[in-house]
Amino acid sequence: MKRKRISRKIFTKDRIIIQFIFLISVLLVGYFVYIGIGWNVVVSLSDWEGLVPSYNIVGFDQYIKLLGDPIFFTSLMNNILLMLIFVPCTLFLGLFLAILLDQKVRKESVFRTIYLLPFTLSFVVTGFLWRWMYNPSMGVINTLLETIGLELLKSGWITDPNMAMFCVIISLIWQFAGYAMLIFLAGIRSIPESHIMAAEVDGASGFQLYKRVIIPQIKASTFTAFVILMVFALKAFDFIYILTGGGPAGWATEILPLTMYKETFAMTHFAYGSTIATVLFLLVMAIVIPYLYSTYRRK
Amino acid sequence: MTSVKIKNLTKRYGKTIAVENVNLEIKDGELFILLGPSGCGKTTTLLCIAGLINPDEGEVWFGDDMITCAEHNKFERPQERNVAMVFQDYAIYPHMTVFKNIAFPLEVRKKHKHEIETRVKEVAERLGISELLERKPKQLSGGQRQRVALARAIVREPKVFLMDEPLSNLDAKLRVYARAELKRLHKRLGVTIVYVTHDQLEAMSIGDRIAILNNGFLEQIDTPENIYNSPKNIFVAGFIGSPPMNMLDGTLIEKDGKLFVDLGFSTYELSNRFDKLKKIKSTEVILGIRPEDISISKENIKNSIKAKVDIIELMGRELSIHHRVNENTIIAITKPTEDLEIGDELYLVFVNEKIHVFDKNTEENLITKNS
Amino acid sequence: MRFLRFKRVILYILLIFFVIVTLLPLWAGIMTAFKTEADLIYTTPLEPPSSPTTEPLEKTFIIMQRPLQNSLIFTSVATILSCFLGSIAGYTLTKIKFKGSNTVFLGLIIGIFIPYQAVLVPLVMTMVSWGLYNTVWGLILTHTVYGIPICTLLFRSFYVGIPDSLINAAKTDGAGTWIIYRRIILPLSLMPFVVASVFQFTNIWNDFLFGLVLSRGTEAMPASVALANLKGGFVAMWNLQMAGTLWYTLPALIVYLILGKYLIKGFMTGAVKG
Ligand SMILES: Nc1ncnc2c1ncn2[C@@H]1O[C@H](COP(=O)(O)OP(=O)(O)OP(=O)(O)O)[C@@H](O)[C@H]1O
Ligand SMILES: [Mg+2]
Repeated sequence: MKRKRISRKIFTKDRIIIQFIFLISVLLVGYFVYIGIGWNVVVSLSDWEGLVPSYNIVGFDQYIKLLGDPIFFTSLMNNILLMLIFVPCTLFLGLFLAILLDQKVRKESVFRTIYLLPFTLSFVVTGFLWRWMYNPSMGVINTLLETIGLELLKSGWITDPNMAMFCVIISLIWQFAGYAMLIFLAGIRSIPESHIMAAEVDGASGFQLYKRVIIPQIKASTFTAFVILMVFALKAFDFIYILTGGGPAGWATEILPLTMYKETFAMTHFAYGSTIATVLFLLVMAIVIPYLYSTYRRK
Repeated sequence: MTSVKIKNLTKRYGKTIAVENVNLEIKDGELFILLGPSGCGKTTTLLCIAGLINPDEGEVWFGDDMITCAEHNKFERPQERNVAMVFQDYAIYPHMTVFKNIAFPLEVRKKHKHEIETRVKEVAERLGISELLERKPKQLSGGQRQRVALARAIVREPKVFLMDEPLSNLDAKLRVYARAELKRLHKRLGVTIVYVTHDQLEAMSIGDRIAILNNGFLEQIDTPENIYNSPKNIFVAGFIGSPPMNMLDGTLIEKDGKLFVDLGFSTYELSNRFDKLKKIKSTEVILGIRPEDISISKENIKNSIKAKVDIIELMGRELSIHHRVNENTIIAITKPTEDLEIGDELYLVFVNEKIHVFDKNTEENLITKNS
Repeated sequence: MRFLRFKRVILYILLIFFVIVTLLPLWAGIMTAFKTEADLIYTTPLEPPSSPTTEPLEKTFIIMQRPLQNSLIFTSVATILSCFLGSIAGYTLTKIKFKGSNTVFLGLIIGIFIPYQAVLVPLVMTMVSWGLYNTVWGLILTHTVYGIPICTLLFRSFYVGIPDSLINAAKTDGAGTWIIYRRIILPLSLMPFVVASVFQFTNIWNDFLFGLVLSRGTEAMPASVALANLKGGFVAMWNLQMAGTLWYTLPALIVYLILGKYLIKGFMTGAVKG
């Protein structure tokens, strides 16, 4: 007997409204994401400079230029620095806060709301606030150090090329720790109470309980938080644009998205900017695709 | 109202075959049961009738209308089939009041407001849920929800009612009551109902006819009595009845023109009712006897089996006695008159007309099988 | 017992320490926004103003008024549109299954993660050629489009929890796809709509990049960009900079303080920002 594939009709009369609206979404995302990415790749293969578009395909010239560009490598290094320091520190602090809040704290929701607050603020806002914090002449940190007699520790902060990147990282940890906390807390709360009770009956308590029972069970939350932060470490733009603009000393805190923006929209090196964007896109996808694969494969 | 005919229905999910080549004819006004263990394809069959899923092969007919034909890619949509369905979880719209729930099928059909109101009230009256009309589903008990689901199905006067284990979420007592109520309702409305259940007692007590499904295959279609008394094969015999039919492995032997089953530990003589078995090649058989068709004797009667009492269970008015016979357990049901004790040695006598003989290889009933 | 109490004390000391660290920049910002130029010099940033004034707020409001209006308009419209489209997409992907629906879903949600730099040039080119560059409509379209993926994810994860039997019941009751959406799905979606709206409002309000590349003059300029421009306009006038920051952050802050628990729900499902 021959097997007949069911060709379900997708478009029938009563479905048409829903299908039509759904199609709009698909087409919009298809155009602005997928066509956009393809278009961007085409631009990266061209020699477009200046305000007049040029789609004269020259091949991989821009990519070769990239390999000889020290600013590109500085930016890439700073992105990697974010991944290596900002991501683990945020995760660690987030986990720490989550464990603190898990101790049947009174007014837990108030603490939670406060810790999460920075994450809900625009990067433009937090950028402004931290510019004020780090301002060397009259800013918050230096005056505070002065007040408590620790003038020794006063510093140029974001105006000091050696410190600027670490200042950026510290403020980003400040902004993201609450978010990591939230994800971890959700993970901890989703562990069945019976598991924890069973472990307590077995004699685990305090630190042991977390190390042996709770933390191993929140792998999924850790993974999610890790991926989101890694992607952010690559995509971060607004905050550094406001806080340092990539400086001091030219590009001490420069990162790829910022370089892309400057090359494209300030210097009108469209082809070169698109090249950086393409590299950035590939880096992000290298993290996201395995994540999506492992998360949605089962469904 | 209409009859329902299913021809060669097959539905696959990837590699699993949910339903394979099922043929059914459901008469107009019949309460037809689809019975079988979990995962045998009952719901799948029902959903194919409703048009909620499309089969890979086969046809569905309502009377003279072909409403599904996989070969010609013809699948009439559920909303055009005029069937009503009661779901296992009742599928009551949680955001609507009981009134709105029952009115929904009529509203969707753009019936007149006045008509909707009278019809809903009438049906609610009939099912005794008039006082609940303004409640939200959250404020209803399981039995009340079940009746709301039923009311929503009845209100439209559909061609066919489809019910997927509508009573399985009720507690045991309520279920018996609801079963009787449903049977009464069927009598009064005279509608065609296709009713899915995995509960054989429920099936036996309300069904006009029963179709037994196993692993997607149709095993037997018949009235409850016939299914009970002449199961077509070992699966049906074992599935219907509680406690289940005793099954004993044996070999058929013919001696001096008489037929015996050699059970290993004992030889059982079959009456001449079984003479047609003489022609049969395969001698590997299974002898089946229902617990209530065994009588117990303390004396050694001719053609009885010696056994030892192992467990005695009180089941309400009856005793269920587990006997050990060599390695086998044979269950018998008796009135609790006899004073039995564990360890007693007894003789079991089988009611001759109630013995079933199955072919061990094909698993078919050798007596009912027309040769 | 005493030891335990001692531990609890340390716990609360730690918790409060982190509260202080978290709120310190905000405190400094708010205090500064109410300071006169003299106060700026004679008080430390953490001290309250000695003579509080709303002058910085009034001054910056003149500059921020139009951008705030713009932001309010495109944020609200794009929030509504992206939620609506996301809801329909979530419904289609969970309840009207079709061949390849999982692939379409994955294709859509990749849009959550892409670095927008990778589509920035084509976006600007498209907006220019469609005549939407430097218009509020352009920003509405952009934010709607890039909001669809996350909204789809949010609604989908809610809709998978609506039992299929409910949809099947509605179908046999005679309802078509649209009626089912309007009469069954939509009334049950109040929660995800609140979550997605709060989430989207915050996201779009907080956006900077799209505003930066899609607006030039004040006609369409979002508040975030207007604020960023204050940086150059009022060098060293921290009271004005902080006042501008306060104006810009106020609507999002109010939304967070009132509807924060829904935003938290959104973060849990969406788990994304940036
Ligand atoms: N949507 C589906 N996708 C894949 N397999 C399915 C699907 N629906 C049913 N099946 C499979 O098809 C077979 C028949 O399922 P069906 O739901 O018809 O069983 P059932 O007889 O109703 O069982 P139950 O008494 O448990 O409800 C099962 O093996 C089941 O796992
Ligand atoms: Mg079922």
